[in-house]
Amino acid sequence: MNTPKAILKTLAGLAVLVGLLAAPLPAQKKPKDSFTFPPLNAIHMPQVEQLKLPNGLVVFLVEDHEFPTVDLRAIVRTGSVFEPAGQAGLAGLMATTLRTGGTEARTGDEIDKELETLAASIETSMDATAGTIWASALKEDFPRVLEILADILIRPAFRQDKIDLALLEVESAIQRRNDNVAQITSREFNRLIYGPASPYALQPEYATVEAVTREDLVKFYKTYFHPNNTLLAVWGDFDSSALKAVLGKTLGAWPSGTAAVPAWPAVNYEGKFTVNFIDKPDVNQSNIMLGHIGGLMNDPDFPALTVMNAILSFDRMFKKVRTDEGLAYTVWGEYDSRLDYPGTFSCGAQTKSQSTVHAIQLMIQEMRRMASEEVTDRELAKAKDQYLNSFVFRFDSKAKIINRMLTYVYHGYPLNFSEGVKSAVEKVAKADVLRVARKYLKPDQVQILVVGKASDFDKPLSALGEVRTIDITIPPPPPAKTK
Amino acid sequence: MRMRSRPAIRLGLSLVLVLTAAAWLPAQNFDALKGKVRTHVLPNGMKWIVLERHEAPVASFHVYADVGSANESYGITGISHILEHMAFKGTKTVGTTDYARESKVLAELDSAYAALKAEQAKPKPDPERVQVLQKTFDDLEARAKSFVVNNECVDLLLQQGDTGLNAYTNFDATQYISSLPSNRLEFWMSLTSDRFFHPVFREFYKERSVIQEERRLGIETQPVGRLVEDFLAAAFKASPYHHHVIGHMADLQSITRRDVEAYFQKFYSPSNLTVAVVGDVRPEEVFRLADLYFGRIPSGPRPEPIRTVEPEQWGERRVTVVAMSMPVLLIGYHRPPAAHADNEALNALANILGQGRSSRLHVSLVKDKKAAVVVQGLNGFPGQKQASLIAFLAASTPGRTSEECLKLIDEEIALVKKDSVTADELTKYKRTAIKGILDQMQGNAGLAALLTDADAVFGDWRYAFDRIAAINAVTADDVKRAAETYLVRTHRVIGEIVMSQ
Repeated sequence: MNTPKAILKTLAGLAVLVGLLAAPLPAQKKPKDSFTFPPLNAIHMPQVEQLKLPNGLVVFLVEDHEFPTVDLRAIVRTGSVFEPAGQAGLAGLMATTLRTGGTEARTGDEIDKELETLAASIETSMDATAGTIWASALKEDFPRVLEILADILIRPAFRQDKIDLALLEVESAIQRRNDNVAQITSREFNRLIYGPASPYALQPEYATVEAVTREDLVKFYKTYFHPNNTLLAVWGDFDSSALKAVLGKTLGAWPSGTAAVPAWPAVNYEGKFTVNFIDKPDVNQSNIMLGHIGGLMNDPDFPALTVMNAILSFDRMFKKVRTDEGLAYTVWGEYDSRLDYPGTFSCGAQTKSQSTVHAIQLMIQEMRRMASEEVTDRELAKAKDQYLNSFVFRFDSKAKIINRMLTYVYHGYPLNFSEGVKSAVEKVAKADVLRVARKYLKPDQVQILVVGKASDFDKPLSALGEVRTIDITIPPPPPAKTK
Repeated sequence: MRMRSRPAIRLGLSLVLVLTAAAWLPAQNFDALKGKVRTHVLPNGMKWIVLERHEAPVASFHVYADVGSANESYGITGISHILEHMAFKGTKTVGTTDYARESKVLAELDSAYAALKAEQAKPKPDPERVQVLQKTFDDLEARAKSFVVNNECVDLLLQQGDTGLNAYTNFDATQYISSLPSNRLEFWMSLTSDRFFHPVFREFYKERSVIQEERRLGIETQPVGRLVEDFLAAAFKASPYHHHVIGHMADLQSITRRDVEAYFQKFYSPSNLTVAVVGDVRPEEVFRLADLYFGRIPSGPRPEPIRTVEPEQWGERRVTVVAMSMPVLLIGYHRPPAAHADNEALNALANILGQGRSSRLHVSLVKDKKAAVVVQGLNGFPGQKQASLIAFLAASTPGRTSEECLKLIDEEIALVKKDSVTADELTKYKRTAIKGILDQMQGNAGLAALLTDADAVFGDWRYAFDRIAAINAVTADDVKRAAETYLVRTHRVIGEIVMSQ
């Protein structure tokens, strides 16, 4: 016989069972319900090894054995800002022909063929404030690629035929530089902000590239391309001790030099309001950029500006100009801060000719609103959450981690710079956003650039202010070299 | 140079390389990855592909809708891409303050638009009546707008840390991409299933204007954009690759919200959708949540395949775009869909002729003859699923012409037809192609794209890995035969940009 207690127990057991059977399917949550996110798995911070070869080359290494490839990036402290007067384009020509001009022992064409046969690559490039070299290979070929790279860096030949070819490429680029409206707009905006003679906005012309001789290229290379003026990162499927031995034998043989590289040139910006127009009678859409000088990432206000940018660009410009008004596909407003020299503050949009002035006025209005009233709680929370929740993506590959490290060391920033910005972003308040918007955004001192067909505009640009027309006619080659 | 004069050395070198390649070919890397892939098909037909990868606590989500501009017909060109934009406008609970009231206004707005269009379409529209109907439409649009929470769907994703949030429409497919911290899996399931279960195409007419701007930006103000549009129209007289993804301006000004709803009903049934999730997730958890959230979506018929096939071309076609631009040359030769057995031979042909500094066209046109500043070969233009083109693009140097470039390209094509390619070149191509796949596999988003693409274009996600074997199987004879079969003058289209004035 079951005691009443036992019966109760059985009943309770049944009830539990029935309860389980009758339990509704696990509930689907609606997108705006509150979710409890399980704790995020830990980020595996890789061991990045840092060493310095006897010749002064600083090397960062991180092993990553998931795929059988190895990648390399080197930064040489140089830049097109150091081009001699009247030779704009020299630094780029040097970077191109360093790679294509071959070495004392082999032509560039032989190197091309060997690298491509290995499915490997070595590429060079030159920016305003950095010379960069990339290499990539399957792991078993990487030692050979390092030999080729060392040969290029130590014994480049700068053969004249490849200099002529590189010159032809630059001249083709000059000839074609007005074919694309977007290219015209960003180039000319840059010239407006930094000034056409600034080393940050200089562009190659026929005359300046034709003034460059082989000796000039060799001199530029010899001035800056030293191991003790270079940082190197290697990541991928290698054994560090074996790789160090190969590095010693290859790039370790690169003789050190004396590179007294000056500081980056200063930017002297004078705030002013200007309206600028470039005539493009064959288009039905205006390409617009407006703005002024921007800032540096090491500014203590950078974290608050980061939050402001997210709100200005998406919550204000995108939502107003694109979503509400349907005026443009691409639209933005961003105070750009750079690691090395001040960036630009710019707003931009491309809109049909008939809404040109209207779009400009809307963008300036949003800029003004940003600098005159506090953002909403919702906007602030969203912008901060977006930054903080996506922070993990800075660590989702070893390549990203080591490359960021290289960049910070190159520009003299602390290795934990990102983490510092993150903790500062956590503390940003509405008042901070308003304070930096007031301090850095100058809606009355924007320089406006419109590339488009004036006769179709909704209003003449003179409704905004006195209009200066920019002539983008390409100066012809100097007579001696005219073909 | 191509070293034709030294066959013995070439043979020796290529043997070494073939051996190295065989020893290296990362079968184990690909097999290990392939072995980790898990799939699941919901009862409603929706397919899921999951690849666990625990490098970092993040995951990429790739929704592949098997519908692109090739599925469109006259009058609704560009609608696949419009739908892609509208899929970010929210649901019955996201993006609105009161869906019940909003939906009534949206219905009235549709009717007002139809009335306005009907009046405007009359041979002699009554201007007063047009004005009245326009006013009714504008007022309703403003009322509908009053319920909208601007971009709430995008805001929700961004707030959770979405990185690389985007969507793409091409000739063959529409793809929606997200990357989130991996603990946001259920949130993504909830929002995304709502988006594809209860979408509300609000703010339609404003978004249509945005897309018109996108057309002006990408096609009308860009000489190369104009060339591509006219080139495709000339190359495909019957195939739906005839019109560009962006669509014709007249259609972008006429497509209605009801058109988009009908298109959605037809092409977004679960059996036409494939999702790949790659990253720090467990497949069983992904499948459990997929059942829970996407299992709700009722099944629907799979759309029927595209009927119209491009017929054989009867002679060379030429198209010219006059623009304020230096010359550009585009040459295309007809070829079958990517699933055809000749596809890898055509990839090899495009690469050996026109990809890389030591490719034949670069060596001839750029390095030796200095006729072009750029020359490039591409296979599978503009799409993969339908018969498309193997194409060559060239930009001449100052003082030289597109005609000269064309002649030099023809010479190189004739040489391949006569002597095929060398063993060295073939080995180079194979290693480069496989290295390219390895590079793409190094990120979650790239892997997710490869898996859905292989599944849709080649009928099986395994092809993302099995393609390695197909690449390795290509012979010099295959390449020669492909050149002879497809690089035929009567089957080619030539497009040029010519400077105006």
